[in-house]
Amino acid sequence: MKFLVNPAKFNEVTDYIFKPVLILSVLLFALGLLFSFYLSPDDYQQGSTVRIMYVHVPSAWLALLTYATMTLYSILALAFRIPFGFIFNTAVAPIGAVFTLICIISGSLWGKPMWGTWWVWDARLTSVAILFIIYLIIMFMNLSFENRIVREKVVAVFILVGSVNLPIVKFSVDWWNTLHQPATISKLSKPSIDPSMMIPLIIMTFAFMMIGLAIAILRIKTEIISRKTNLS
Amino acid sequence: MIKFLIKIIFFYYREYKLNLSGFQDILTNIIFFFVSIFIFIFSIGPDKDTISVVGVGILWTLLLLSSTLSLRKFYQDDFENGNLVIMHLNGFSFGFIAILKTLSNFLFVQIPFLLSIPIACILLNIANDKIIYLITSFGISSFILSCLGSISSSMNLMNQRNFLLGSLIVMVFSIPIIIFSVGIINMEESFNSLINILFGILLIVFAINPWASGLCLKLSLENK
Repeated sequence: MKFLVNPAKFNEVTDYIFKPVLILSVLLFALGLLFSFYLSPDDYQQGSTVRIMYVHVPSAWLALLTYATMTLYSILALAFRIPFGFIFNTAVAPIGAVFTLICIISGSLWGKPMWGTWWVWDARLTSVAILFIIYLIIMFMNLSFENRIVREKVVAVFILVGSVNLPIVKFSVDWWNTLHQPATISKLSKPSIDPSMMIPLIIMTFAFMMIGLAIAILRIKTEIISRKTNLS
Repeated sequence: MIKFLIKIIFFYYREYKLNLSGFQDILTNIIFFFVSIFIFIFSIGPDKDTISVVGVGILWTLLLLSSTLSLRKFYQDDFENGNLVIMHLNGFSFGFIAILKTLSNFLFVQIPFLLSIPIACILLNIANDKIIYLITSFGISSFILSCLGSISSSMNLMNQRNFLLGSLIVMVFSIPIIIFSVGIINMEESFNSLINILFGILLIVFAINPWASGLCLKLSLENK
């Protein structure tokens, strides 16, 4: 597991796994889109719009997962002085921002036919919007500091402070009365979703995960090279 | 021990002198606050009922905006003329400097706003019995704002390009404070529970503040 914290080992290992990950993500996307467009049933209430879920839910999960991983790497980088954490934070923040944006846009496309409005000031929606703004601030901070050592540590501190938003996003549907529905799958009891809809959802989640992983590998490699040549 | 206390007293004496000589800055902030209230009223229209409904929200937004205006001066002057190093050499740790500076920001920047709230309430047609709730909630939340301001301005000490980022950070993290403080005024029966939530946020932020700002101050001074 040393390749998770060591740039040289990371380069070595990801040279092997990059192509398989990319091919796997293409295959999973083909399979997942096939399932979500043709093989999964319509919802009895929502009709065909339920298929937006197969993009909306995985991107939301991955937006949260990306931020959680960044928090973990910030702790590693600040507490145990592992510089790979800083590389990871710089490289991965735009990916999380894009996932959050996909989640917001697909959610509002879903909300227009179902709730009758593009946007409501609901606790879940607002907290995800704040998550997006936090990602944007991280990206702006990465651009606006001149001294690299100060920049990466300040960004790590900001990520740690901003991670208070994560539990708010997760539990907002339980704490407040929201228009957004409460958790269906990621709860302690049995998931209240039919297997015919669960299977495409899980396939799409893995597809999103793989494509995110492939882009993250590329970006981290670029970041390592640019640090070696002192470009940033 | 007594020497240390004397040092702290001299620190506040110095802050008092500095803020007295720059008193027009604080006054400008307050005038900004009142002028923006006028602009809001002109843009909404002078209808009494509308203003008393949205008045509290306007008040809070403008208080937040005008208290983030002076964020740039939080550490910047001391950082550039070397006073932070001198304080550190005198036995103050960076976390302790952050606490002292936060308190001084609360005393010299936020308290004037606290004094100008009743006048703004009269202008915005807010009921008299609500003013005391407003002042209580602002007293707590302005201290939270001082702590957040300390964190964000210490983060942006070495940031030479993008000054607005500091205000952006404070505004993002002040969203829960605004939710609960405006809730206090609109729901009087749950006053105590909301005050407790605000106190909880204050304690969390006050605990994070010395760690985060101290680390950022140390980093910026090392790489100056």
